[in-house]
Amino acid sequence: MSSYLIGLLVGIGAGLVVLAVIKFRTRNQSMSVAEQAEFLSKRRARMLPALAVIFLAQQASYFSTAAIATPRPVDTVKISAWLVLSIVLLAALATKGFWAHSREVRNLIDDENTRANRNHAMQSGFLFAMGAGVCVYVVTMFTPVTAREAVHVMMSAGIATALIQWGFLERRAYRDA
Amino acid sequence: MPERLANRLKERRAELGLTQAELAERVGVTRKTVNTVENGVFTPSATLAIKLARALEMTVEQLFWIES
Repeated sequence: MSSYLIGLLVGIGAGLVVLAVIKFRTRNQSMSVAEQAEFLSKRRARMLPALAVIFLAQQASYFSTAAIATPRPVDTVKISAWLVLSIVLLAALATKGFWAHSREVRNLIDDENTRANRNHAMQSGFLFAMGAGVCVYVVTMFTPVTAREAVHVMMSAGIATALIQWGFLERRAYRDA
Repeated sequence: MPERLANRLKERRAELGLTQAELAERVGVTRKTVNTVENGVFTPSATLAIKLARALEMTVEQLFWIES
């Protein structure tokens, strides 16, 4: 079995374990739907910039591995883990997120202001991804860039920008309280 | 100068003795949304404006107006 496949399976497995823990723990069960939504929404506002930092930090492992002629299996696992995290973050950006919670809580968390903030963040993410694409294009005029490197740069720029922007907007919405 | 949607949400909410959380629950949004509308950070949709006006026993025109 290739190291990439192992990395993908490990990432998916870890994600499923996290979802199961969230689903079956009892911490939020005594809260009303509105209280749960408030709690989770605040936690999301705190987590989004942290997730962006973790996501970008994973890039370092990719680009340090790219310089090695024969990457070790652990390096390929890290790259696959980056792909899994990218897909999870994209899904969180494109949907209501909080998949392990009830429909009522998810609908309340994704209210009008949150949707507006999310759309604004996605817009910024798209613009930054396109900007990164332009930069990569210019760089290819001077030095060869592999397709995988270009995809890494564009996805990182787009997803990280959207996460940071969304986090900023959510925090600002609470700060005004 | 750009136009801005002003409101008397905070005053009316205080008159009725409601907290942001209580108003948010009546309208079906999070407290954050009520907070951003009150502070003029977020312009609500027509649907939310009508729901807020109903919850605060006012018309939309009494609750919101355009400032330039």
